[in-house]
Amino acid sequence: MRDTGRRKAYVLALGAVGLAGALTAAAFVAPNKAAAAARPYSPEHSTDVVASVPRRDPREVAERAQLAQSPDRVELAVALARADIGRARTLSDPRYLGRAQATLSRWWTMAEPPPDVLLLRATIEQSLHEFHAARADLDRLIALRPDDAQAHLTRAVVATVTADYPAARQSCDAVAKLAPPIVAVACKAPLDALGGHAAEAFDELARAIDDAHGDPMALWATTTLAELAIQRGDEPRARALLERVLGSDPSDAYTRAALADVLMQLHDPAAASALCKGYEQIDNLLVRRAIAEHAAHGPEADRLAQMMHDRIAAAAERGDRVHMREEAMFVLAVDGDAHRALVLAKANWDVQKELADARIFAEAATAAGDRAAATPVLEWSSANGVIDARLERFLGGLR
Amino acid sequence: MKALAILIALTATAWAHKPSDAHLTLAADGARVTGRLDVAVRDLDGALQIDDGDGRITWGELEAAAPRIADYVKARLSIEGCPLELGTAQLVNLSDGAYWALPITAACAHAPRELSITYKLLFDLDAQHRGLVHVAGQTLIVRDGNPVHVELGEATSVASFVREGIWHIFSGIDHILFLLCLVLPAVFQTKQARWRAATSVRDVAVEVLETVTAFTLAHSITLVISAVGLISLPSRFVETAIALSVVAAAVNNLLRTVDARWAVAFSLGLLHGFGFSSVLIDLGLPSRELIGALLGFNVGVELGQAAIVLVAIPLLYAIRRTFAYQALLWGGSGAVACIAAIWSYQRCFAA
Repeated sequence: MRDTGRRKAYVLALGAVGLAGALTAAAFVAPNKAAAAARPYSPEHSTDVVASVPRRDPREVAERAQLAQSPDRVELAVALARADIGRARTLSDPRYLGRAQATLSRWWTMAEPPPDVLLLRATIEQSLHEFHAARADLDRLIALRPDDAQAHLTRAVVATVTADYPAARQSCDAVAKLAPPIVAVACKAPLDALGGHAAEAFDELARAIDDAHGDPMALWATTTLAELAIQRGDEPRARALLERVLGSDPSDAYTRAALADVLMQLHDPAAASALCKGYEQIDNLLVRRAIAEHAAHGPEADRLAQMMHDRIAAAAERGDRVHMREEAMFVLAVDGDAHRALVLAKANWDVQKELADARIFAEAATAAGDRAAATPVLEWSSANGVIDARLERFLGGLR
Repeated sequence: MKALAILIALTATAWAHKPSDAHLTLAADGARVTGRLDVAVRDLDGALQIDDGDGRITWGELEAAAPRIADYVKARLSIEGCPLELGTAQLVNLSDGAYWALPITAACAHAPRELSITYKLLFDLDAQHRGLVHVAGQTLIVRDGNPVHVELGEATSVASFVREGIWHIFSGIDHILFLLCLVLPAVFQTKQARWRAATSVRDVAVEVLETVTAFTLAHSITLVISAVGLISLPSRFVETAIALSVVAAAVNNLLRTVDARWAVAFSLGLLHGFGFSSVLIDLGLPSRELIGALLGFNVGVELGQAAIVLVAIPLLYAIRRTFAYQALLWGGSGAVACIAAIWSYQRCFAA
């Protein structure tokens, strides 16, 4: 009896010590964790650089002043907004899209703004994943300016993302009459490939690229060509093409992400991780590096996963749901939570329907063993005769 | 063709930064509101042209612009009935760069029940800008210059976490069953290696107290450890393990393998802490009042637990010599073991 009593006291005392220890740890760890990044400080020297911004362009400053003087001058607003959209692209910083939108605010809510505003508004809407609004603006613009190649090309992209392939094809036909052959073929080839003619589309686009050597468009088209190779299941070919594009333009984050995906398919996560190293600022490359490092059991796996979790939390805090595809990829590959990945992939599918969206949807449904959930992607695939090597691996099991 | 290239490339852009956010964190204490406004340095430059044009914003340039920034903030931020005072700003590094961290105090005419905040910074510069107002445990997203209203009071308080803790115990049947399995045999004790109905209320009370305390200590430890992120376990594992712990507690009543129920309560209680913490994390754990939230939630859990025990024990004590008690002890434990086994299977393999 006395022995048991002593043992009880011993364990309870241990428990109390443990609790005290844990609370102390919490007191130290928790504020650090919450405030480590958020503790205010004052730099030591007044010459310390605290932030970088694009150099101010004196001409733009002057134009902005003029616009403030006469806020109705749409051509000034369009020029300024166009410059900000260009900056958003080169700096991969969506902040400048918001600035472009603000510059156009006087015309932003108009049902029928001037044509130049329509084009920029559609471009901004599209990158905010407001595809229906973008499409409506492009249709309006084309009614006003039927010979606007940009409008047709952007409409083709928007229609493809929303799986309206007849409309996309119609736009590509219009592009063919207005733009050089390389642009026309690059517009049409993905549609042909999606409809089951990947081999022919690949050959045609490869020829067009050969014919267009020197044209800066050829580089962009080469990434598209690599995507057609992936669709045919020819990852080594895709790898060579993407490496060529990246060699010419290392700042092309889209191509880098595509190459990382190909390396993962080729079972080389270490190479995929190395490829994305140093580009963690870019969400699409951080997510791929986190997945690759996790798959390779690399030393940075935990840190990258935490970074990605923080990034997702920051986006969620402002109510953004723009990165659901990447979030689904991450949740499936790193968190191993197939059900949550499926929820995300399904919600993403309601917004955009590119091949990559179909692939993650089918993959998550397969992992979750939820055949019924994958119905939309199965229907999409059979309705459009889609043939894709990667997708087939999952859909085969789901049918 | 050049313009064409811009549009094509934009469709394929991967964003390197998040869009523009500013954070306004406020806390009310009586008639006094304190807090801080964090605005991205890059955004302030866009609005006020702080940089001298070389693309590099220095601390000196920022300090020189401090009065202009203060005027800008005063003209665009207000809390109804609470005139704002701005403190001396510092910098704070958030995930996407340096922010101007401006302390704010406001003396309200009387202790406010709700705050009516008008936030109009930066929207004219960046239409995608968002003001994130953190107050009373909530985050409000301000998308335009219209005033937003926040109810103060309970939402912010430790009391709300106490309530969540109580609620969680009563809504989470697995914790209740685990606890009941542990205290069920308390009125029936071993004396000289033989089982018989307890003869004194005191013995029963001590036994129950030990069991419940051991459970409390155990789950408090793991709750704290996992709520602060020292250890995190997959929820499927935790949920399955909790269900298995209920099986174990029930089977122990049937087989009486372990007499020391406080030991069972302690070792298996460790698992339940992980379950509690996932609830707490789902509630949106306030990082600034983490300790208060943890304590509050835990107190709530204990209160819920105590309520169950205080109702159950007198009843069990009253019927301890009857057949009904035997039926409850054996039949109840058996039934609980079966139900919890099914849960374990479901949590592990199904949804």
